[in-house]
Amino acid sequence: MKYRRIRYVWLPVGVALLAGIGYVNWSKSGAGLYSRLWQPEALFAYWNPADFYDPVQSLTGSFAGRECVTCHEGVTPGIVNDWRKSRHSQAREPVYCTACHGNDHRNLHLPTPQICGGCHATQYGQFVDEKRYGFPSHGLAMERALDARHFVDKPKAEVSACLQCHSVASKCDSCHTRHLFNAAEARRPEACITCHSGPPHPDDESYFASRHGQIYLEEGKDWDWSKPLHKGNYKVPTCAYCHMEDGKHQVVDKSIWKFGIRQINPLTSSNEVKRNRWVKLCSDCHEADWSRRQLAKLDTERKQAWQKLYAAESVLCRLRADDQLFPPASQRPAYPTDWLDEIWPRERIGFFEGQASAFYNVSPIERDYFEMWYFDNLSTYKAAAHGDAALQRRAHAAMDRDLQSIKREARILRTLGEAERELGIDARAGSYWRIGDYTDHNREHN
Amino acid sequence: MSIGNRLRVRPDYQFGTAGFVILLLLLVSPGNGSLAQERETPPSGAYDDRESIQCHLQKNAPLISAWQHGAHGRKQRSASCTACHGKTHHGGLERAHQDDTCIDCHGGPKAPVTHSYATSKHGLILRLEAPQQGWSRPLQDARYRTPGCAYCHMHRGQHDVSKGVRKDILDDTDRQAVQDEIHQVCQDCHSPRYVGRLFDNGEKMLEVGRSKLREAMQIVEQASVRFGEKDLVTVHRQLKTMRHHLKNIYLGVAHQSPDYQWWHGQPAMDGDLLRIKGQLDELQRIQTISAQGTDERAGKTNLAGQHGQ
Repeated sequence: MKYRRIRYVWLPVGVALLAGIGYVNWSKSGAGLYSRLWQPEALFAYWNPADFYDPVQSLTGSFAGRECVTCHEGVTPGIVNDWRKSRHSQAREPVYCTACHGNDHRNLHLPTPQICGGCHATQYGQFVDEKRYGFPSHGLAMERALDARHFVDKPKAEVSACLQCHSVASKCDSCHTRHLFNAAEARRPEACITCHSGPPHPDDESYFASRHGQIYLEEGKDWDWSKPLHKGNYKVPTCAYCHMEDGKHQVVDKSIWKFGIRQINPLTSSNEVKRNRWVKLCSDCHEADWSRRQLAKLDTERKQAWQKLYAAESVLCRLRADDQLFPPASQRPAYPTDWLDEIWPRERIGFFEGQASAFYNVSPIERDYFEMWYFDNLSTYKAAAHGDAALQRRAHAAMDRDLQSIKREARILRTLGEAERELGIDARAGSYWRIGDYTDHNREHN
Repeated sequence: MSIGNRLRVRPDYQFGTAGFVILLLLLVSPGNGSLAQERETPPSGAYDDRESIQCHLQKNAPLISAWQHGAHGRKQRSASCTACHGKTHHGGLERAHQDDTCIDCHGGPKAPVTHSYATSKHGLILRLEAPQQGWSRPLQDARYRTPGCAYCHMHRGQHDVSKGVRKDILDDTDRQAVQDEIHQVCQDCHSPRYVGRLFDNGEKMLEVGRSKLREAMQIVEQASVRFGEKDLVTVHRQLKTMRHHLKNIYLGVAHQSPDYQWWHGQPAMDGDLLRIKGQLDELQRIQTISAQGTDERAGKTNLAGQHGQ
């Protein structure tokens, strides 16, 4: 009996486990979970140097720091100008190019956070520690981008757009721009805006419209930005003051609402710990009770937004259950990452089913829901969190309109479906869902 | 360009006697370029465009002809001397270097063409540094930490603003000329390989956008055989929006704005494309139902009418 259990239960379990670990390791052998399914563009070398950098081969020889400077003054003077103004060059023992890039010109590297961490160990430690809070976060930004279904599926030149911002995980100059690497620059809101703007995260718009942001715009240029992000040093908070208080190099240890992307329970014990961190931070200027009430308002706003989102989601789920989404997943291209899609095509509705990738090759009503969730919902969240009441009102009104429009579209789909059923018509989506300049290119060039 | 020539325009640090001698030689040498000539003590007083052109034709005819060749001087002379430099010589150079001068005419701060730059790393760093550093330095040799509008589009003070700009984003016939122009500018700061790869990738990304538009245009062309002009009004409107989104990709690539490449560009075009397909599906379904169903049913469902509600 005992041996039989080993033979029929534990042995297969062990084999399956080993095979699973082996498969994951095999598929992760490049960069990311699906790296065997795609080839990187040459430009990726600069966005994710740890995985893709290929050293320049045009010049041979090993050089000392001073020699690099002399030559690059002529070749790329901007870099040298910056470096001369930086603390790196003004230190008693200057940090030359070679410290970060190496000195063999045919074997140079771009500095990764790990290389910067060689000297800036505290900041690097905090930055790495961020990963344990999960995503959204800076630390996991590159991994999650490379593992996204739409990243694997789409032409790599197209999704190179993603990597520019998601490279915040793979190099430090997203915020401390090269070759000045100035902490003062990174403290200012402008350092965040290149990535934290646009429809899904209008952080720039919502912060600058808030009272905090208005005061910053009015007076910020005259403040001393060399001061640390510490209580009493700044009249109003900036992005970094709140999200990286005291210069701590991680932005998610207070992250309760997770970017507004999915619904969370704000009252769990771990979220209570995070809330207390917020209250402590806001108490640098405000009363603790007042701060708590403001944060509770955000809970309420999120609840309202999710009621609207779930209402829309249930409209879509009912359409799917009744086979009324048009075209259904079986009549449009499948993701290459998911072999199951080929034999069991299914529409992805809601965060947990992979809605984040369902913004192309989906039916218009699914796209409407994507935009409601990813654009208008996230805008209401950002507006509420940063204190932009006008945007909060506008974006909530937009969500109401989205919901009405989704319901109207659903009625049309049902009316058409019923008419077709009564007349015995087998409606097929146009062949253009599977054929066309981009669609063909996409299938062949991922 | 030689290293000595580059040193001439960078007084931020000492460059020794040799550098000083080179600087003197360069300043007095003939054919030193437009900048030194432009800076001879300019006359005071206010001048209009006609007077400015008349005088500067004698001083620097190539500059005037470059201006006339570019978009600012061609057609109805959309941006004349005084539009950018003001009417007096006092502060005229600084005024023309400033981003705000360009933004005033180019759609204001929220127009895609200016916003795509303003939210790029270049734009934001310049926004932080301009109040301290001013706009008086020449537009060359990385004299600004990051480039403003004029640094790239009027690099080294050249006045043909159409250089380095695509004439038509739908085809790539002028690719090589544009590439040559802007490589010179970018290499003030960036390595030639980085600039080359950025450019190639940008071209590919733009081509992906073009392929989306082509796909949509082919579908709409085929549809126009089956459906009437009136049925296709929304489809054509969507196609127009799609062109704007393609322009956003171009601006995102040219100004290095991830947001314009992506959220205002590629996924926005995906949305346009699938909506065009969805609208045509719907028209097709209505047509089939109408053909097979009785007139009574077609009247009862009145599907097209529901869209207007």
